[in-house]
Amino acid sequence: MRILIVEDEPDLLASLAQALREEGYAVDTADNGADGLFNAEGTDYDAIVLDVMLPGIDGWEILKRLRKTKKTPVLMLTARDQTRDRVKGLDTGADDYVVKPFDLEELFARLRAIIRRSTNKTTNVIEIGDVKIDTAARNVYFKNKAVEITAREYSLVEFLALHRGELVTRTQLYEHLFDENESSLSNLLDVHVSNVRKKLGAEFIATRRGHGYCIE
Amino acid sequence: MKIFKSIKWRLQIWYGLILVVVLAGFGFTAYQLERNRQFRRIDDELQRRVGILANVLRRPPPRGPNEGEQIFDRPPPRRDSESETQPESSDSGQNNSRAPFPTKAVQDALQRQLHRAPVQFHLPPEAAGLFNAGATNAFYYVIMGRDENEIARSTNAPFDEIYSYKSGSVAGKLNRFAPFPQWKDDRQKYNGEQFVYENFPANGIPVGQPFPPYKRGTFREIEIDTPPGERILVGQNIISELTELRLIGLQLAGVGGIVLFIGLAGGWWLVSRAIKPVNEISATAVKISAGDLSQRINVAEAESELGQLAAVLNSTFARLETAFAQQKQFAADAAHELRTPVTVILTQTQTALNRERDAASYKQTVEACQRAAQRMRKLIEALLALTRFDAGQETLNRQPFDFSKMVSECAELVQPLAEDRGVKLIFELPPLEITGDSERLAQVVTNLLTNAIQYNKPAGEVRVKLESQNGLAVLTVVDTGQGIAPENLPRVFGRFFRADASRTGAGNAGLGLAISKAIVEAHGGAMEVASEEKSGTTFTVRLPTGT
Repeated sequence: MRILIVEDEPDLLASLAQALREEGYAVDTADNGADGLFNAEGTDYDAIVLDVMLPGIDGWEILKRLRKTKKTPVLMLTARDQTRDRVKGLDTGADDYVVKPFDLEELFARLRAIIRRSTNKTTNVIEIGDVKIDTAARNVYFKNKAVEITAREYSLVEFLALHRGELVTRTQLYEHLFDENESSLSNLLDVHVSNVRKKLGAEFIATRRGHGYCIE
Repeated sequence: MKIFKSIKWRLQIWYGLILVVVLAGFGFTAYQLERNRQFRRIDDELQRRVGILANVLRRPPPRGPNEGEQIFDRPPPRRDSESETQPESSDSGQNNSRAPFPTKAVQDALQRQLHRAPVQFHLPPEAAGLFNAGATNAFYYVIMGRDENEIARSTNAPFDEIYSYKSGSVAGKLNRFAPFPQWKDDRQKYNGEQFVYENFPANGIPVGQPFPPYKRGTFREIEIDTPPGERILVGQNIISELTELRLIGLQLAGVGGIVLFIGLAGGWWLVSRAIKPVNEISATAVKISAGDLSQRINVAEAESELGQLAAVLNSTFARLETAFAQQKQFAADAAHELRTPVTVILTQTQTALNRERDAASYKQTVEACQRAAQRMRKLIEALLALTRFDAGQETLNRQPFDFSKMVSECAELVQPLAEDRGVKLIFELPPLEITGDSERLAQVVTNLLTNAIQYNKPAGEVRVKLESQNGLAVLTVVDTGQGIAPENLPRVFGRFFRADASRTGAGNAGLGLAISKAIVEAHGGAMEVASEEKSGTTFTVRLPTGT
């Protein structure tokens, strides 16, 4: 899962990015409206955390322009808690709304919710054969036993599971699992896939040679 | 009692009382006037009849000292002619002063003889017609002699026992009969034809002193004593008049009641109309006190006293609403400004506590938290300062100082920032002594210089000029920045105003100019701004030098 954070307060931006990375997301950041819009339009993020008050182009404007080309789920951050601000945010195309100050737990839950909704899932649990994925707790079970799995491996499983039955290309995986600062070494992805197969069974992830991966 | 505390009810009660008094007075007067008119008419009739009876009641003409001798040169009228002459002979009787008359001694003798003579009573037919016994309202009479014997009585006279002199106390009525008065001057006088009583003209109203007419039951009666001592009573059954009077009284009462009802209804309508605006004002005030500050009194009649009151109240409500809205906006803005640093502290600490970290990482978190806390402190100080200036509680430490020197010191403070941005500072500072709070004023100057540098274009310049004009110290700060849009100019000194609404840099909450203005105004000065988009902004501070 790759997320973009657009926030102009540097301390807030830094801590949010760190917390989300530790949650296993690939995180890109932008500290002004123009950069934020550029990133949002150029990359297929799984979600965007967007502050309303931004120097340059403000949050509303970014959202308006972004909605012309992309349906990326957007979570708005704002200090305005009046009803008309919430209504404006939701009407402009925001998927959810968090009022400052917020708890990180709530922000994470809302992020998960908008990502889940964008992939047309209604629950936090995905079951594929013997494998069960709890997207809220970020746990994976194989034959009803919890499996030790790294954050990056989990992200790989989750992304493929959310796109079950679809062919997921290597480029897509790179885009969603690694942020802009990580060099996309092609064998890094192969290592993660091989580790997942060791833990969840070789047939869990099918390889379409020359195209990408798929969970049937 | 709640009802007596209501103006409406009190007005209505007073109005009703006044109306009742006026109506009762009017009705009573009208009734009395009518009653008096009726009774006067009846009394006139009674008196006329009593006079006639008095003249019918007569004695035989006196004789001379010698038995059977006539003392007058003319013979007395025949008895059977009395009835013909009696009614119209009063004028001739009065005027007949030239008639020869006997001496005083003879007169007295005659008088005595006359009074001793037996009474003759014969009612002539014309007079009898006045006492028509058949009608219900017929007149009746009773005549009694000196020795309390009854001389004559009409057939329809009621209550015979009352007129018995002997039973002096019957019905308590006869008590008021005084002893027979001593008649001295009322003498029968000979008018050439007959003897007449002077006080009882034959055809007219008695001129003597009859007892006043009185009402007994449904009867009106009058009594009179003749000079020789006979008593004549004439009365009439006035039941029809009394019935008529009672009817008139009832009609008056009925009309009075209707008028009272109409008056009360009209009064209620008038009072309700007069009170209605008061009720409207009260209802609106209730809504406002319940929290709906947007309510206004409908000022329909701006000219009336209540209209003026309503207008005054409305303007008060409007000011209240504005003040409330400003207060609310101020509180919302202040809360908004505090949200971002609080969010920083929350996310920083929650992230840090998520797992074990090394010392450098914790240090970073603590530093971020410190920055957020510093920002909140600055904001709180600014808010408190503004609140104190608003309440007039901020005390200024006024001392004489050199304004130009203070500006130079402020310039030194902002010099690093200017160098950082490549902005050139140009000063024109002649020495100028003023009295004021130098620390507070330095805050103003620093704020203006910082703004001029921050909102300047790269490699722009800031011109600071101090001069003395008409006893005022005038400081102008001119920058070469982007300028301020005309629609934003009036809001520059407003609270939480930022030319760029999204700029949330630390310590810049949009309160600086608002505080500067409050400080300058507390010194009795004024602050102005002029700006031209794309070319720059000029801030001017005018301070009285003396204060």
